[in-house]
Amino acid sequence: MPGLVSRAQEWIRERLNIDPVVEFASHKTVPSWKGSFWYYFGGVSLFFFIVQVVTGILLLMYYQPGEKTAFESVRFIVTKVKFGWLIRSIHSWAANLFILAIFIHMFSVFFTKAFRRPRELTWYSGFILFALALGFGFSGYLLPWNTLAYFATKVGTTIVAVVPVVGEPIMQFLREGKDVTTATLTRFYGLHVAILPALFTVVLGLHMLLVQTQGMHEPESWKELPAAKRKSMPFFPNFLLRDLLLWLIVLNVLAILAVLFPWELGEKVDPFSAAPAGIRPEWYFLFTYQALKYFPAKMGPIDGEVVGILLFGLGGLLWFLVPWWDGRTPAGSRNRILNYVGIGVVLFIIVFTVLGVI
Amino acid sequence: MSGARWWMATILAVALLVPTVTRAQSDSATVTAPPAAEAVKPAAPATAAKPGTRDECMTCHLDAESPEAIAYKNDIHRARGVTCADCHGGDPHQDDQDAAMNKAKGFIGVPKKQRIPVLCGSCHGGQDSRFTAQYKLKNVLTDYHGSAHERSLDTNAKGAQCVSCHGVHNIVAVTDSRSPVHASRVVDTCDRCHGDALYMRDFNPSLPVDQKEKYLTSVHGQRNAKGDWKVATCVSCHSNHAIRQVKDPRSPVYPTRIPETCAQCHANQKYMAGYNIPTTQFKDYKESVHGIALLKKSDLNAPACNSCHGNHGAAPPGVASVTAVCGQCHQSNEELYQRSAHQPVFAEKKLPACVVCHGNHKVKPTSDAMIAFDEPAPCATCHKDDAGDKAAPAMRRIRGLIDSLTVGQKEAEAVLARAENLGMDITDARYSLKDARQSRVQSRVAIHSFVEKEFEEAARPGIQVVAKARAAGEAAIHEHRFRRQGLVVSTLIVTFAALLLWLKIRQIERRQRGEDS
Repeated sequence: MPGLVSRAQEWIRERLNIDPVVEFASHKTVPSWKGSFWYYFGGVSLFFFIVQVVTGILLLMYYQPGEKTAFESVRFIVTKVKFGWLIRSIHSWAANLFILAIFIHMFSVFFTKAFRRPRELTWYSGFILFALALGFGFSGYLLPWNTLAYFATKVGTTIVAVVPVVGEPIMQFLREGKDVTTATLTRFYGLHVAILPALFTVVLGLHMLLVQTQGMHEPESWKELPAAKRKSMPFFPNFLLRDLLLWLIVLNVLAILAVLFPWELGEKVDPFSAAPAGIRPEWYFLFTYQALKYFPAKMGPIDGEVVGILLFGLGGLLWFLVPWWDGRTPAGSRNRILNYVGIGVVLFIIVFTVLGVI
Repeated sequence: MSGARWWMATILAVALLVPTVTRAQSDSATVTAPPAAEAVKPAAPATAAKPGTRDECMTCHLDAESPEAIAYKNDIHRARGVTCADCHGGDPHQDDQDAAMNKAKGFIGVPKKQRIPVLCGSCHGGQDSRFTAQYKLKNVLTDYHGSAHERSLDTNAKGAQCVSCHGVHNIVAVTDSRSPVHASRVVDTCDRCHGDALYMRDFNPSLPVDQKEKYLTSVHGQRNAKGDWKVATCVSCHSNHAIRQVKDPRSPVYPTRIPETCAQCHANQKYMAGYNIPTTQFKDYKESVHGIALLKKSDLNAPACNSCHGNHGAAPPGVASVTAVCGQCHQSNEELYQRSAHQPVFAEKKLPACVVCHGNHKVKPTSDAMIAFDEPAPCATCHKDDAGDKAAPAMRRIRGLIDSLTVGQKEAEAVLARAENLGMDITDARYSLKDARQSRVQSRVAIHSFVEKEFEEAARPGIQVVAKARAAGEAAIHEHRFRRQGLVVSTLIVTFAALLLWLKIRQIERRQRGEDS
């Protein structure tokens, strides 16, 4: 067996110059400290993305967008196709866990200040991946063409229209018209299975290249530690195998959720019916949706909703630009302002999500 | 009277010539029971308008032998003190024609037809006049407002208004047999318009014009012709001043209101005494499938009294015509019955076909239990479960088939409900059960052939659908179990792989620590 492996390595080496890569991997290490656990959430997010790609391709074999086929084809998948119910349920569950993993990954990077120089580009690319993941969630939600998805999309795209000047054109672009119709469905389908995956793959490649070349961010407290006290573990095989171990555990969780709590299909869209009571967006949009409700109808001469949307836009922009404004706050590894901002955002998301659920 | 004055009076008399009685109705605001048989009283003798005052209009027009004035001598209004001027305006105390017919004093001549209801309504419209309280006059103008007749008048001056039915200048009390709206004459009065196809074409060309002919064939019409004024006439059902189109839900002959309208007489024991017919029909009907469908579910397809008895030609269906009456809606049942073995037997024994098993006014929902040898199953009346009854074996098999279908359907629904509770999608199977329900309906129709083979042809497809639906439900439950088992197996495998990986990591790290030390 070892002979076979070495012969295979030799076969590859003759054709590809992999020595620099092997050399790099053999010397690459990962800081080993009490916060190392958070490093794995990048890998978990990647795992969910792979699951989404695989299950998405399988669903693509049967899914047909269209007024008379979208809902029916998904029903066909979950009732007639062998293990179709499992694939669809895994796809739906993994989509939510994917975004949850990205949230955790993003906040862990934020609180460990891992976005600081020279990793600004990693943060920016990560933020773009986060936005694309939300785009995946929003576009994929409509594809089964059920009542909940229809009205949630209607509400979601209406909120976009509130943005001054560009809001209305963006909404019409997303809907491909003034209302949510099968044209919207086709558009979302194109976004979900072609445009977003292509963009995501490119940005993900860049993100991972940056992570690999720059290595994991060392904790800020290490700056004051002597080199001897800075523990680390080899990336290969230690960290990679631990990553795989977590992936297996996550796979188990995913399978249990998908089987015991299969994702419901709901009722087919009836555009003429009234919106179901308690209509609300997916949980990851819920805090924004809920917070907007607390804005007064008018704030001076401007609609409260417009102010809210603009504030959220500004908040998102500031979040994206953290590496930029962090450098302008009082220096020091323990930037308290940053911590307060992070805790404030986490509390805001939790509180308004809970308010939206109850 | 001078020559000129005489000529003026003559011209006015001619101008005032309007048809006396053209169209008539009786007098009450809502649907009323036919008037009690009352003694026909002649109108009170004409008296002067007011003691001590002269009604110069009458003086002059009687001098001129005006037909209106002559007729008005016997009009009830005249007897109650209503003068010509009360309707036509002017000053009745002036003997000079110009002064009496002075427009400045409100003289209007012949009232325009569209204005007549308002004119009559000045006393009969709830307003205070010198007659309202004295004679306790009802407000019938409000009833007339919004009626089909008022709408006809709005669009066409030929439309019906007060004088169309009550006449003019010779009006007498409704209870007076000379009144065109008396029970003895009201049908003819209504028929003057409603029996005239040419006249009705201007208002409602689709309305039949043979109501009177039908009425004369009805029990009501025949008794009315014999002088029974208690029986229903047009106004008894359609009301009088508030007549609305049948399609108007406010009309007493709107489908959902018909039973109640008929019941005003037919459920009134006191009123119906002497006619020797039951008064329980309305109570029975309300409990019947037809009554529940019409009155509680507002299903306008369900039959009301008139659907079986006719409306204008109302009469109880004879034994021979029962199947035809029920067959208006239950066509297939009728066809099968007509060629069944029961038909000649029932006809010979003069049994009222459908009614024998289903009843008449109190038609109960059908059930599988109707096919049985025990009371109160209708079959039990004639059939016995013994060797002597040749129909007994077929009856048993038919009951077996319908039970298979009914019980099988319930069981399949229970299995599907279990599968659904487990989160399985059973939409297709549940949808297929509609075919079973259809088959059940068809088999319940097919029973009227009383032929086992025909019944089986209708029931068998349903039994097969039920079996398939049940199998689909059981397969879904099995699939659910398989999924759980698969989950356990896959979780164990993945957990085992994770364990091996963890051991491998420990082994590697132990070796690395050994190398480091």
